[in-house]
Amino acid sequence: MNLTAFPPPPPGADYDELRQEVRAFLAEELADFPPEKRAESWNGFSRDFSRKLAQRGWVGMTFPREYGGHARSALERYVVSEELLAAGAPVISHWIADRQSGPLILAKGTEDQKRQIVPRIAAGELCFCIGMSEPDSGSDLAATRTIATRVEGGFRINGTKVWTTYAHVADYMILFCRTGKSDDRHGGMSQFLIDLKATRNIRISPIIDMGGEHHFNQVIFDDTFLPSDALLGEQGEGWSQVMSELAFERSGPERFLSSFALIEELIRLLRKEATEAQQAEIGRLSAHLMVLRQMSRSVAGMLNEGKNPALQAAIVKDLGALYEQDIPRLARSLVSRPAVPGGRDSYAAVLAYTELAVPSFSLRGGTREILRGIIARGLGLR
Amino acid sequence: MESMIHDMAERLFRNHVSHRLREDAAAGQCPDALGTLIEEAGLNMALVPEEAGGFGVPAAEALGLVRISGAHGLPLPLGETLIANAVLASAGLAPPGGMLTIAEGAALRLERRGAAIHIRGPLTLVPFARWADRIVTIAALDGTDHVLSLPVKDLALAPGQDLAGMPRDDAEVDLALTEADARPLPRSIGGMRGLGALVRSLAMAGAMETIVKMSVEYANDRVQFGRPIGRFQAIQHYLATMAGETAASRTAAEMAADSYDTPAFALTVAAAKSRSGEAAETVGALAHQVHGAIGYTREHALHHFTKRIWSWRDEFGTELDWTTELGRAALSSPRDRFWHFITDSTAQGAPA
Repeated sequence: MNLTAFPPPPPGADYDELRQEVRAFLAEELADFPPEKRAESWNGFSRDFSRKLAQRGWVGMTFPREYGGHARSALERYVVSEELLAAGAPVISHWIADRQSGPLILAKGTEDQKRQIVPRIAAGELCFCIGMSEPDSGSDLAATRTIATRVEGGFRINGTKVWTTYAHVADYMILFCRTGKSDDRHGGMSQFLIDLKATRNIRISPIIDMGGEHHFNQVIFDDTFLPSDALLGEQGEGWSQVMSELAFERSGPERFLSSFALIEELIRLLRKEATEAQQAEIGRLSAHLMVLRQMSRSVAGMLNEGKNPALQAAIVKDLGALYEQDIPRLARSLVSRPAVPGGRDSYAAVLAYTELAVPSFSLRGGTREILRGIIARGLGLR
Repeated sequence: MESMIHDMAERLFRNHVSHRLREDAAAGQCPDALGTLIEEAGLNMALVPEEAGGFGVPAAEALGLVRISGAHGLPLPLGETLIANAVLASAGLAPPGGMLTIAEGAALRLERRGAAIHIRGPLTLVPFARWADRIVTIAALDGTDHVLSLPVKDLALAPGQDLAGMPRDDAEVDLALTEADARPLPRSIGGMRGLGALVRSLAMAGAMETIVKMSVEYANDRVQFGRPIGRFQAIQHYLATMAGETAASRTAAEMAADSYDTPAFALTVAAAKSRSGEAAETVGALAHQVHGAIGYTREHALHHFTKRIWSWRDEFGTELDWTTELGRAALSSPRDRFWHFITDSTAQGAPA
C-alpha cells in the first residue's frame, strides 16, 4: 500500500443540502453562543445540545436503522461533524459515543448490548468515556496493569485509569484492561462496557488541567464487580479491538479544527485591512486547511468502503496537530494584541484559551512520537 | 487507481530513465530517443479529448502521468507538452506533434495586422525551450485570451538552466502568426501560470515520493553503531515527517488535477502549488540529513530529485505568489464566515 496516496473522496461527497440544513440549525441554536465558548471546540459539553442534534437525526447517522440509527454514509456524517466543529458547537456529550464507542459496540457487542445501548447513543442521551491510559501506561498501552479477574457471575476489576475525559459526567465507560497473563505483550487484553451510574466501587476524582479546566479524571477501580455481560467483544481480543478503533479516532476533522475559533477571530480582524504579508499568511493557512480537509475526507471515504486506513489516519493526526498548534503563533505574528483570559475583547479571550489548550493536541489520542513511529514502520522500515 | 496509461508510463520510464540519462541531460544532451518513445506511446496526447487524438481518460488520470514523470526525474517536458496540446485543442487548433513547452505570456504585446497577429516581447525561463519544437503560450488581444503556438526556430533564444541543470531559456519574440497558430480561447482559463503550477505541483509530489522511498531504503541499509540507522527514533521521525509532507503535496496536487477545467481550479491550484512548494523545503532538507554525506555527492542519485523539487517550487508562481493570491481571495470573500470560503473552495461545482 502506498502510504502517501490519499484517493479523492467519492464524487457527490459535498452533500450540499445536508450542509445547508446543518448550518441553518447551528445559526439558530448557537445564535448567542460567544466566541470564547466556541473556542472550547469539541470539549464543550451540553446534553441539551446533543439531544437536539439527535432529534434532527445527526447523531448515530451511520448506525443501522434497527438500532435507532439513520443508515447514512461516513461522508454524510463527515459533513455534519465538520460543520459542528467549524461552528464551535458543544459536542463532547455525544462525540466519543458517536465516533467510536457506538461503532465498536455495533461491531463487537452482543445483541443485548446493541439493543440496550446503541439506540440511546443515537438519541443523544448517552455520554461515553474511554478508560485507556494509566499512571504507568500512557503511550505504552501494552504496559496496562488494571486487571479483571474472573469471579462467580462476572469479573472483579482492580486498577487506576487517568486522563479519562469527562468520566465525571459520563454514563458509560469502555474500559481497556488485562484479563490474563500472556507472553505476547499484546495478548490477554479485553474491553468492558461499564454502566458508570449503576456500578459500585468506582472512585472518580478530578484532574484539573493547566488552563484551569476540569476535563480529565482519575478513575479508581477497587474490587469493582462487573457482570459477565459487561465484557465487550472476545476475551483476550482487546488489543486488536482497540487498534480497529484508531482510524475512526485519528482521522476526523476534530484533528485539525480544534483552534478554528481563533482562526475566525483572526480573519474577522484582518478583513477590514490586511497587508500583502498578512494576506500571504492567511493564504498559507487556507492552503493547509484545504489540504488537511481533503486528506481527512479521503480517509472517511476509505472507512466508508470498509477499509482500515489506520496509517493514513496517523498521518492526518500528526499533520493536523501541527496545524492546530501553530495557530496561536500565527495569530500573534499578524495581530499585536495580548492574550487575556476571559477578556472582554473576544479575540484576546479566544487567543488566551487556545494558547493554553494547544499543548494537549499532540498528546491526546496518540502522542506525536507514537504516531511518527507508526508512520515510519508503515513506510517499510525494518 | 488502476490505470493502463500509468502502467505504460511506469514501464517506459523504469526502462529508460537512468541516473546516466539524467546526468547526460544535465550536461546538455537532449534524450531525443526517449522523447520519440514517449510520443509514439501517445502519452503527449493524454489530456486532449478523444476526438482530437487523446485516450479518452479523465483529466485527473491523464495528469497523473506528470506525477509519474516526476517520480522518475524525467529530463523532458512531458507535463508541458500535455498542457500545450490540451490548450491548443481547446482553441480548436490541431496538436502539431513533437516536443512542446509552455510559457507565461503576460509580457507579450499582441497587435492585429491584417489577417495576422503580430507578437512582440520576452518570454523568460521557458522550460526546455531549446529542445522543443514549439512554445505554447497565452496572451490577451483586445481583452480576449489568445493561445499562441510559437515555432522555436523563429525565436531568438538565450540559454539558461535551473538548479537541476535542465534548460530554462529566455526567448525574444518578434513575429507574425496566422490563425493556424493563434486563436482566441473560447473562455478564459486564467493564463498559463495556473496550468504550469498544476504540472509542477504534480511533478513535485512524484519526486518527493521517490525521495521518501530512497530515504527509507537508505535508512534500512546503512549501519552505524551496529544497527541500521532506521532503528533510531530521530531518523524514524524525519522519515515520518517527510511522508506526511509528501502525502499532503500529493493530495493537494490531485485535488487541483481533479478540478482541472472547472471554476474551483483557480483556488485549488493556489493551494496545491504553495503546499507542495512548502513541502519541498522540508522533504529535501530531511532527505539529505538522512542520507548523510553520500547524498551530497554527484555520484548519488538523490540530488537529481532534490534539485528538481527546489527548482519546480520557484516556477509558475512561488509559494509567496500563490499564498498571497489565495489569502486575498479568502479575506475579500463575500461569504460572512471563513469556513464557508473553505468549503466552497473545494466544492464540486464551486462558483467562479
